[in-house]
Amino acid sequence: MSEQYGEPIAAGAAPHPAGELEVRFDRGVDLARIEQLLQQARDRGGTGQESVCTLNLVAIYFTQGQYERAREALEVAGSAHPCRLLVLVADQLTEPESLTARVSVVRSGGAISMERIVLTATGRAVRHLESAMTGLLHTEVPLVVIWGGRPQGDLLVRAVESADRIIGDSGARPPTFLADVAKLVARGAPIGDLAWARIFPWQSLAADVLDLPNLREHRGNIRTARVVCAGAVGAEGLLLLGWMQSRVKRLSVAIHAEGQPEEEPETSHAVIPRAERLGLGHVSRFEFTSPPATFTLRRERGLLLAEVKGDDDGYVVNRVRLPPDTPGRLLGLELKLLAGHDELYAAAVQAAAKLLPTGTS
Amino acid sequence: MPYAPEHDEVPNPLRPGLRAESTPEPCAVVIFGASGDLAHRKLVPALYNLALGAHLPAAFGIVGVSKSAFSHEEYARDMREALGRFSRTKPVDPEIWQDFGAGMRYVSGSFDDPDTFARLRSQLEELDRTRVTRGNRLYYFATPPSTFPTLLRQLKSAGLINPPLHPAFTRVVIEKPFGRDLASARALNRLVLETCDEKQVFRIDHYLGKETVQNLLVFRFANSIFEPIWNRRYVDHVQITAGEELGIEGRARYYEEAGIMRDMIQNHVLQLVCLSAMEPPVAFDADAVRDEKIKVLRAVETFDSPDQVQRNVVLGQYTAGSVAGADVPGYQQEKDVTQGSRTPTFVSLRLNIRSWRWDGVPFYIRSGKRMPKRATEIAVHFRPLPHSLFGAGTTLPNVLIIRVQPQEGIALRFSAKVPGERYRPRTVSMDFRYGSAFGATPEAYERLLLDALRGDQTLFTRRDEVEAAWKIAGSILAATESSEFPPPHPYPAGTWGPQSADQLLAGDGRAWRRL
Repeated sequence: MSEQYGEPIAAGAAPHPAGELEVRFDRGVDLARIEQLLQQARDRGGTGQESVCTLNLVAIYFTQGQYERAREALEVAGSAHPCRLLVLVADQLTEPESLTARVSVVRSGGAISMERIVLTATGRAVRHLESAMTGLLHTEVPLVVIWGGRPQGDLLVRAVESADRIIGDSGARPPTFLADVAKLVARGAPIGDLAWARIFPWQSLAADVLDLPNLREHRGNIRTARVVCAGAVGAEGLLLLGWMQSRVKRLSVAIHAEGQPEEEPETSHAVIPRAERLGLGHVSRFEFTSPPATFTLRRERGLLLAEVKGDDDGYVVNRVRLPPDTPGRLLGLELKLLAGHDELYAAAVQAAAKLLPTGTS
Repeated sequence: MPYAPEHDEVPNPLRPGLRAESTPEPCAVVIFGASGDLAHRKLVPALYNLALGAHLPAAFGIVGVSKSAFSHEEYARDMREALGRFSRTKPVDPEIWQDFGAGMRYVSGSFDDPDTFARLRSQLEELDRTRVTRGNRLYYFATPPSTFPTLLRQLKSAGLINPPLHPAFTRVVIEKPFGRDLASARALNRLVLETCDEKQVFRIDHYLGKETVQNLLVFRFANSIFEPIWNRRYVDHVQITAGEELGIEGRARYYEEAGIMRDMIQNHVLQLVCLSAMEPPVAFDADAVRDEKIKVLRAVETFDSPDQVQRNVVLGQYTAGSVAGADVPGYQQEKDVTQGSRTPTFVSLRLNIRSWRWDGVPFYIRSGKRMPKRATEIAVHFRPLPHSLFGAGTTLPNVLIIRVQPQEGIALRFSAKVPGERYRPRTVSMDFRYGSAFGATPEAYERLLLDALRGDQTLFTRRDEVEAAWKIAGSILAATESSEFPPPHPYPAGTWGPQSADQLLAGDGRAWRRL
């Protein structure tokens, strides 16, 4: 993976949970011991030991660092969707072989809203993770897997087989990876994608503009669409064009990079969430034409502006505030769909993959 | 605005399947009664929180209108202070406020004076230019109902109401009470509809903005296991309680006019009855949902005679007592209450819904002020077992409780075996708490204002709904407001109403749930 695109679902490290209980296993994994620790963690809070669980959230990472950077996002998503969070850190390249479980709970509204079990395996101990995970799942609720690696490999194949949904972030990878995602989706994998959630405001505004009474006449004549990405062509831009192509027949499309992504803000995690910075490959501008009208959607700091030009002088038709699309919030959005396909995404990713240079995989 | 294609237009190719909720169109919200309590405590905080959550278009402005003299800046400062006190999210985000406050304007003047509306018009045109609000208007009447005719007339004369098919929308949000009886409700509706189309009118009942009330629809129609037993074959009776710890809190003038029937039953409680008893709508859209609600209201048996009312309705009025460990005065001792007032502060009643689904299943309702605690819930009591296998009196019938407030959630009471003993059943409760599962929920006004801005009327009451509800409440009021009807039964503050309320159920071999 290319470093410049950042890491999947990385929002920054949250403080280490207070009261985390840890156990190290020398041989295999003792699931009963982990359940015991979980009970201890629940008991520590005194009152409010009721656990609410709406899903199993399994997050798979390949280094401890990857998980640390994703922890805050997982917590934010978990606060909106009470869950049992199972984090598997499969660090095969680090020796010696070891396996550790860390257990903690998060309380909210007088009940336990997240039971968190972090299993870290190094070396050959990685082979135990899958069976340990299976033994720790709640049986009554859906299983959603957050995939932190490339969209390839045996572990992903098995995750696809067992999970109700698999969520990744193709925006954190070079856009060529969309071809792999498209193949998985074509095989029926229930994939969710934070890059897709990131373009929701663009899609929504584009649709809103065509619902304005005096602009409805342009709905049937959309001919071209063009996306500009910040610094480099990214998955978001390709998905946006893929979506347009899947919705509008005989659409001519173009994508290119322009300008630079925004600098990291000094404090990346303010108390009050606000729109994320314009990252590398993110969409900065989106145009479509329905002759004689040209619709331009562009990002201006925390706002999305929609303008129309054509048989008129040109005017701003709508301005919307960009939501605080932090990875945690985007993950929360994706978790709203607990099972099955997002048909719109499936069509968009197939069309987006076709926009990649041929021979890409 | 929800996508609703005209029959001859090309459907929006970009709309189908979108998972993001649409942002409302650019708009200016005009609050009449802008210096009042509702604007300070609820409306402006709700709009601010919508802006904070990126639910509002950036092309947005607010115009406050009332008699008090404020400049634009003073009004914005006043509202900024109100946010600091009443917003559910604190502290106020300076960046969001900067933009939100910059779109705030104020027009001072009497509603009777056409000049007020001429100045309002130029203010709105200024917002169209500077904030790109595109001529879209949402008028919020946070004023007494007596002002509605004047406001509507003046808005119309000033050319501030566009016809329903005009590209720039006009919507009017009206606060309850929608009249004080069937005749006045009809007159008000006539007047409103002389000026606007029904599609432009949003009659707000903040109970419908509560997440748990909306959850009733999801609970009933997104689960397959409850609907087959949600009928007279399995349900013995339904109890709806809407109790408040509070008294009239200095609102004697309003309450003396309204009483519990107009304050709670005609609107909030009958809405709960509708949502509990309605058939599945054919679609989840405003008219389909409201069509089903109105069928319930039409099926509710009205009372034809004072005798019938007396058999089915118990009124009460609180006397001095103790609530939450504090002494509180009786209703008659409250400031501005007329000596010897017969205004009821409590009602319990038995309603019958004459439909295939509910005939013979009584809906018992009780609502009152100065109850031992604040509690609103719907309890569906299922029929007892036909034969008790484990001994008489060892099991209690199942009860499904939908708690509207507080501790919003759903509980199911059922029997389980006591461990160790041979076969001794014991009643246990399976409890789902909304707050634990999903965290903080938005304020009712946030949801309702957002829906009004989007043009979605599902959670607003329609003309015929209001009138049907008044027909039911009116059939009771016609008897109880007659001087021949016995005065309300006194009940000490801090109790669940007069004993006669218990007797109403006891006569049917039932009892109120202990809350």
